Amino acid sequence: MIDRMILFVTLIVAAFYFYGTSQIPTLEIGDPLGPKAFPYLIGIGLLISAGWLMLETVRAKKAPQAEPADSTSQDHSHLVLLSAIVAWIGIYFAVFEHLGFLLSTPIFLFVLMMYLNRGKWLANGLTSVIFTVAAYTLFSKVLGVSLAKGILPF
Amino acid sequence: MEALSLVLDGFSVSLQPINLWYTFIGVLMGTVIGVLPGIGPAAGIALLIPVSYGMNPTSALIMMAGVYYGAQYGGSVTSILINTPGESSSVMTAIDGYQMAKKGRAGAALAVSAWGSFIGGTIGIIALTLMAVPLTKIALGFGPPEYFMLMALALTAVSALTGNSPAKGMLAMMIGLMIATIGTDLQSGQMRFVMGIPELQDGIGFVVVVVGLFAVGEVFIAIEEHFHSRSEIFRLQGKLMLTKEEWRRSLGPIGRGTIIGFLIGILPGAGATIATIMSYSAEKNMSKHPEQFGQGAIEGVAGPETANNAATAGAMVPLLTLGVPGSGSTAVLLGAFVMYGIQPGPLLFQSRPDLVWGLVNSMYVGNVMLLILNLPLIGLFVRLLYIPTGILLPLVLVLASVGIYAVNGNIVELYLCLLFGVLGYAFRKIDIPLAPLVLALVLGGMMEQSFRQAMTISGGNPKIFVSSGLTIGLAVISVLVLAVKFSKVISRRKNSGEVKSATI
Repeated sequence: MIDRMILFVTLIVAAFYFYGTSQIPTLEIGDPLGPKAFPYLIGIGLLISAGWLMLETVRAKKAPQAEPADSTSQDHSHLVLLSAIVAWIGIYFAVFEHLGFLLSTPIFLFVLMMYLNRGKWLANGLTSVIFTVAAYTLFSKVLGVSLAKGILPF
Repeated sequence: MEALSLVLDGFSVSLQPINLWYTFIGVLMGTVIGVLPGIGPAAGIALLIPVSYGMNPTSALIMMAGVYYGAQYGGSVTSILINTPGESSSVMTAIDGYQMAKKGRAGAALAVSAWGSFIGGTIGIIALTLMAVPLTKIALGFGPPEYFMLMALALTAVSALTGNSPAKGMLAMMIGLMIATIGTDLQSGQMRFVMGIPELQDGIGFVVVVVGLFAVGEVFIAIEEHFHSRSEIFRLQGKLMLTKEEWRRSLGPIGRGTIIGFLIGILPGAGATIATIMSYSAEKNMSKHPEQFGQGAIEGVAGPETANNAATAGAMVPLLTLGVPGSGSTAVLLGAFVMYGIQPGPLLFQSRPDLVWGLVNSMYVGNVMLLILNLPLIGLFVRLLYIPTGILLPLVLVLASVGIYAVNGNIVELYLCLLFGVLGYAFRKIDIPLAPLVLALVLGGMMEQSFRQAMTISGGNPKIFVSSGLTIGLAVISVLVLAVKFSKVISRRKNSGEVKSATI
């Protein structure tokens, strides 16, 4: 089941990649092969791996019960949870430059920790703040890397 | 003779106080990364790249190499104490190491890991030094077709040998090559696959991909496992010493582990994980009491733990002498070299012998430091295991974000990193190995360049790739690797009892 999905996605990606390759403008300068040849080779390689995968899938089906079907029968509640976390990270990135590192990071950390490390208000709060300040000091003061300032004056 | 003096001169570089300091930082971080589940050497090195921008390249590379081999030391700790290998190359250690811990011999298991790692690592460096000079002499004769075929072989081997399905390995490799073609084509100046996004004109930074796939993706996996049960942490019992009897039993496995590890480490695709598997089965086959394996046989810890460190030294051989890495982690190391504008390979031995030998010789020092960190001080690192994962994982996410943002100060790269994190999670779930992807990403640009150069030389005739004995040999080996793996898949697909191997 999963292998068939991979196969399907691979074919779509290959189609887009071939289309993208054909859209690369070529000029009559530079090396004789131009910028298209290598991508075409990769596209062909993609098709070959899809073919091979199909062969493997067919073989696997013939072998009696080759793969236990545990992954499909599981409940998918963890996927909802992970999607929420991905969305939360996305929000963090979205406000990162506006609020600045020093404001957005403790909030991001604290909320995530309260979810993953429940009930430990004090430990989570302290870690969020101390880690943020330490990371900020290390990066912007010691290593000279500028982190997003945001609305704070420093 | 001249070569010898260059090697010895390298010590004057690696023994400079500043470089000793960065060796220490590197191996310390390597140990921490090895101990902590959820972040591996590949992500650790990638995260260091933006941080070390302003540093002198020699010191920076010494530090990153320290992370690489240091992680092999730390990896055994979680295997032994909580039966959860931090790295795939510590999977074999868990089998007997955890049983030893159950019997109250955790101290002995950790001690033999540290000593085996030290001996395997140090002898590995000596072998690396001995092999490097003759190999660079051969490699100097390589032209674009030879390099292209060599990289093709490295990619084929990694794709075929990591993971359980060579088709998925090849798929991963093609995805990596595809990502490498995004951005401005360096030879014609044309945009490729930019899709109207200006941030893609310079291509997708390899730090973004590696941190996304390895650090962020690994955090997602760990979050998922966080809600499942956890094995109990064994207290560190027993002195960190071996009895005379245990030493006697361990010396043979350590010696064999060194040889197996180093030789396997050189080969592309095989790497530390396969070296540990081979060492373990060798010890089991040779043992007079194979029934003790799995019940806490010290040989089953000594051999693999030695082999994975010897393999890291072996893996440096193709990286340094040919400039072609054979694994995911060394591909990230190559990426770090390239970031500093340094191309490893035979020419580097001529142009920057101070850098090469300074780096190689720093590994002796690093191994001594690691022995100290991992014997008397291991108790400190074990405490890291008591940090709640609910706190640790968010911190890793922030570190990854800061590291990415520090490169270009670009928010789009953060979103890309998140995207690759999700991809990394999904690929792990559906069994697509990540090592071929990363290797292809790093090698993609060089491969295309040598491909086009070779075709320019031959006037567009692809026969140039089978024109010399060397290119034919490389092609034959690639085909053989594929054929062997292919026939295995066809003949016994159901026999999947083998160790679920590994991304790196």
